[in-house]
Amino acid sequence: MANQNILLNFDRNGANHTLENYLKRKGYSTLSEKIPNMKPEQVLDEVKKSGIRGRGGAGFPAGIKWSFLPKDSDKPVYLICNGDEGEPGTFKDRVILEENPHMLIEGMILAAYAINAKHCYIYIRGEYGFALQRVQQAVDEAYRAGYLGKKLTGANYSCDITVHKGAGAYVVGDETGLMNSIEGKKGQTRNKPPFPAVEGLYQCPTIINNVETLASVPWIIDHGGAAYHSIGTEKSSGTKLLSISGHVRKPGVYEVDLGYPFMDFLNKDCGGVIGNRKLKAVIPGGSSTPVLRPEDCEKITIDYESIAEAGSSLGSGAILIIAEGSCMVKTLEVLTHFYHHESCGQCTPCREGTGWLHKIVKRIEAGQGKMEDLDLLTSITKHIAFHTICPLGDAACGPVDSFVKKFKDEFIEHIKTGGCPFGGKFVRFQERV
Amino acid sequence: MTSNNTVSIRIDNHPFTVEKGLTILKAAEQNNIYIPTLCAHKELTPYGGCRMCLVEVEGARRFLTACTTPVEDGMVIRTHTDQIQKERREIMELILSEHTSSCLICEESELCRQYMPTIRKAGVTTGCRYCPNDDKCELEKVVSWLEIKDINHPVYYRGLSVEKYDPFYDRDYNLCIYCGRCVRVCQEVRLANVLAFTQRGRSTVIGPAFGRSHLESGCEFCGACVSVCPTGALAEKSNKWNGVAEAEIQTTCALCGVGCQLQVLIRNDKAVATIPVDDEFVNHGQLCVKGRFCVNELVNHHQRITKASKYQDGNRLQIPIEDAIAIAAEQLKNCPPEDFAMVISPNCSNEDLFIAQKFVRTVMNSHHIDSSARLFYGNGFNDYLDLMKRTTALSEIGQSDVILCLGLDMRFGRSVVGVQIRKAIARGAKIITIHPNDHSLALNAELWIRPHTTEILDSISQLSNALLEKHEPITSRLAQAADLLNAAKNPLILMGGEFLPYSNSAEIMQQTLRIAETIGSAIVPLPAQNNLHGSLLMGAYPELLPGGIFSDEPDNRKKISDIWGMTIQDFTTDWNLNKIFTGKKLKVVYLVGELPPIDEPIGDFVIYQNIYPPEHGAPPNLILPAAAFTEIDGTFINGAGRVQRVQRTAPPPGDAQPDWQLLCQIARKMGATGFDYKNHQQIQQEIARFIERFKKFDRKPVVLPKHIKLQLEPERSSQLSETDGQSFFVLTIFNSEHQYRGIPIADKAEGFKKLIAEDSLLINGSDARKIGVVDGDQVLVSSDLFEKSFPVRLSDNLQSGSVQIIQQRFQPFNPNPHPVKIRRKDV
Repeated sequence: MANQNILLNFDRNGANHTLENYLKRKGYSTLSEKIPNMKPEQVLDEVKKSGIRGRGGAGFPAGIKWSFLPKDSDKPVYLICNGDEGEPGTFKDRVILEENPHMLIEGMILAAYAINAKHCYIYIRGEYGFALQRVQQAVDEAYRAGYLGKKLTGANYSCDITVHKGAGAYVVGDETGLMNSIEGKKGQTRNKPPFPAVEGLYQCPTIINNVETLASVPWIIDHGGAAYHSIGTEKSSGTKLLSISGHVRKPGVYEVDLGYPFMDFLNKDCGGVIGNRKLKAVIPGGSSTPVLRPEDCEKITIDYESIAEAGSSLGSGAILIIAEGSCMVKTLEVLTHFYHHESCGQCTPCREGTGWLHKIVKRIEAGQGKMEDLDLLTSITKHIAFHTICPLGDAACGPVDSFVKKFKDEFIEHIKTGGCPFGGKFVRFQERV
Repeated sequence: MTSNNTVSIRIDNHPFTVEKGLTILKAAEQNNIYIPTLCAHKELTPYGGCRMCLVEVEGARRFLTACTTPVEDGMVIRTHTDQIQKERREIMELILSEHTSSCLICEESELCRQYMPTIRKAGVTTGCRYCPNDDKCELEKVVSWLEIKDINHPVYYRGLSVEKYDPFYDRDYNLCIYCGRCVRVCQEVRLANVLAFTQRGRSTVIGPAFGRSHLESGCEFCGACVSVCPTGALAEKSNKWNGVAEAEIQTTCALCGVGCQLQVLIRNDKAVATIPVDDEFVNHGQLCVKGRFCVNELVNHHQRITKASKYQDGNRLQIPIEDAIAIAAEQLKNCPPEDFAMVISPNCSNEDLFIAQKFVRTVMNSHHIDSSARLFYGNGFNDYLDLMKRTTALSEIGQSDVILCLGLDMRFGRSVVGVQIRKAIARGAKIITIHPNDHSLALNAELWIRPHTTEILDSISQLSNALLEKHEPITSRLAQAADLLNAAKNPLILMGGEFLPYSNSAEIMQQTLRIAETIGSAIVPLPAQNNLHGSLLMGAYPELLPGGIFSDEPDNRKKISDIWGMTIQDFTTDWNLNKIFTGKKLKVVYLVGELPPIDEPIGDFVIYQNIYPPEHGAPPNLILPAAAFTEIDGTFINGAGRVQRVQRTAPPPGDAQPDWQLLCQIARKMGATGFDYKNHQQIQQEIARFIERFKKFDRKPVVLPKHIKLQLEPERSSQLSETDGQSFFVLTIFNSEHQYRGIPIADKAEGFKKLIAEDSLLINGSDARKIGVVDGDQVLVSSDLFEKSFPVRLSDNLQSGSVQIIQQRFQPFNPNPHPVKIRRKDV
């Protein structure tokens, strides 16, 4: 089964980011041809029919999210594109932002039409300097060509897009944190309720979607929701961008139909584990998803349900491959440091707890751990997970719990031998030519 | 039973019907169910940070925070299950792992309650005091409620240095638990936006942005952050180690005319701290830096006069109070009425003022009683009184849509009014401010009209003319202001203190009144004196009798004589306080809460009755110890005419007594009758015979009688002196507004000196560079009429070309402002 190219529908070597190139790929044709004959509700219906699930990590169906907007509100509605791609290992949105920004813009215009938003924001993390530049260029081009602004080319409504640069905080990847950041406040998440669809950006109803979700909208409207739904599995429809990295021969961004067997993807598409080593572990959906052992991966297919069944999550589609010969404790130390560093400090359990997680893992790696530390780790995660405002606390606990559970022997070995059997360093495996 | 506005819930198996939209926490509180919290505070929006208030809600996937979750119909809530308590303990342990907790978890703590030993090996049995918040700590309460005896995590001390460089409070962020209350109170309640979180996670820093000091970042030092801090991280310097207050008594602040309600905290018979009262009329739970931090320092200072003393051969001798009263009586008995004068402070209570003028009029048979307010307001006094007659309640700010502020800076004094103005702005009200300097309103005002100090009157009268639709060419800003005021539905005028010392202040007030009449608005003058209103109504002026009636009318005198049952002397004098500078030397001068206005002896015998000894001038002959406002019972009338109660919160130090008691004793010693008051209520009853309003105490405002007018000095010149073509600056001299009974607050409250530069020359930085002076240099300021040296303080709030001096002691300066030359003293 060949995978479709919905989002990566271009030659990866060309200058795909320009309006000219996008128009050659029949860009903005959905906007100019379909929209004049469609009502906003019809657009919303098609998206609902497509069954596309939020590609940011949580996997909530986008069409249903859009329909949460209050019907009787006289406040303006905002649409935000969440391009704060901060999950370690995730770099799939970057490809869209840098290579195919017009598809995102068209998707946003269509989504804005469906939910009656007049003003949209594209929030891009500050570290993505090149993506920011490309998206801004594309937005400027679209304004000049009349696809954005007062009265859109080929359609009878107006839409503005502001590109907003982030200031570097992982926690802003959360919806409400991102809204605070746009408002110029500190990147801390808000208490819910009220939910963003009711009271979001500037206290107005707000819809916030991932880059990939919004970029899929033009195809969905062009080909119809049903066509999109026919791709992939029943519950996980469409294609998914995967960013695979780590000890893999051909790392990068791939677009696959959901339901694609994982081992096929790893071995056929990506060329297998580097240096013909044995697979040791896979983190299937970004660093906050629980780790999987190779035997868990044998049967899984790349979709929300199958990976959930194996005890993890598809998340943002960031696959990290870890080969035999690397230290799982060291890997966990790096991950816990990340969450400790990124904790915003609002909720006690996360602010203090992630620090302790890091300190304990660090001392195990340094050979100064005690056997009680393993229980202490799981007891701390129990008190962090689900006890914080935003999911950062939960995200920090996913890897800790699963690493300790699935690679307990390795932790015990560290404690018993009083040091790291792998030399305490990250191993960079070189491909021998 | 559920109606449209209520919902039925169950908390811990008890059914309750509560208001819709309440949070679970509030619903529980209303029904006396305790849920521990650290970051929640009744005046602040929920934050959900500490996670102490997690509760179990049936059907929810996870525990919910009670402080953020609104109740829903049919909700079943459990607040104390074993699992929740376990979670809370664990979360608290995480907090304690980085908050020094030796005071919270100590193996001696049980014993400590009984015997108070210390863990130091020392022969003291006082208990430990590691933390300024000992026994007041909210963390401590929650820890003991959760019965935490030990923590699993090793204690990790952050090792931050304690921030002590800002005045009034110390900040030890090692004790901070990041509840965010201080940040929220600064942003939501004070709307000052000084405090913020910077950095994130464990390295979060609380404070002004960009590493600025509080002073630089516009902090008003209101102390709201200190009040809400649940730990000892923020501690008031002057009350840091005093421990828990034994009592709290409500009284009225006497440090300006706003008249905020204070809660005075008492320990060991001393007023150790003051906190705001959530008063519906005046301060709404807010205070300014003076009320919050200066009162305790002012009344407890070691220099307080505690004993009577006399000067003999240049030496000050302490004498028993009875002897002092006998000496005073002796001197006064031999003094002819025309050679006597009493100067009384408008900071005194109504009872003091009333007794003082009764003493002068019935015992001394004189009308020579005056108040320093006459000097403070100068020739604009009558016009200022006209503004006061148009006054309205401060809470009117809440209803106004356009507010015109004239010469009003509210950063340090009157910041409670500033808060109300910021709230009005948040509501959509527009502020027009006329002020020559950069000031607290400049940032938030819709329009800041910034005339030069010499053009204030021009601006205001142009505005007034524009409102009367006289078509004159005016600046676009003034035109805009006129448009805003014309369109206003509910305009209001606030009068600050900036323009009062100007030579043309009378005209400025007249124009202001004209504006108010044109647009039909009330005026809120914000006098610096806490009982100016009272001093007029009680008759503490030569021209005025109790009730504010004129003393030169025989009918009035007869009326008063009948009530007192003794004749009041005919009004034959034109004496008033201005004569101190020019008139003949008097025989006996009695200063009640006032400093001698000049350095030379003002009388042959000077009786000085105050809370601090005078620092300047010829020493008085007799010193009597008086009580401060926290030590007396009585009433004040604030700037808006509201009658407010002062209560004795602590006994006066040593032999000090309320002014009226000292006066009554002297009167009795002199053989006078009618001074046998047992308490302040008896005086109030007598006042009620003159002013109906005092029959029964309530806080409703009293209005000044329309006719009240004083006899003022002839008009002062408002012309600028001719310039000699050389480079000159325009100097404006102000009288310090921050005084209590003539005592500069900056002298007694350590931190206040850092905020207000008194007796220094304030000059713009670029001007200072031009004449080659730096901060702290001594400069000679001279003109045809004036020559004096001052230290320089740079202030970029001033406009280029204008300089100012805030003088602690009143000295005439006329015309004001006028051009001066400035040069470095050593050149």
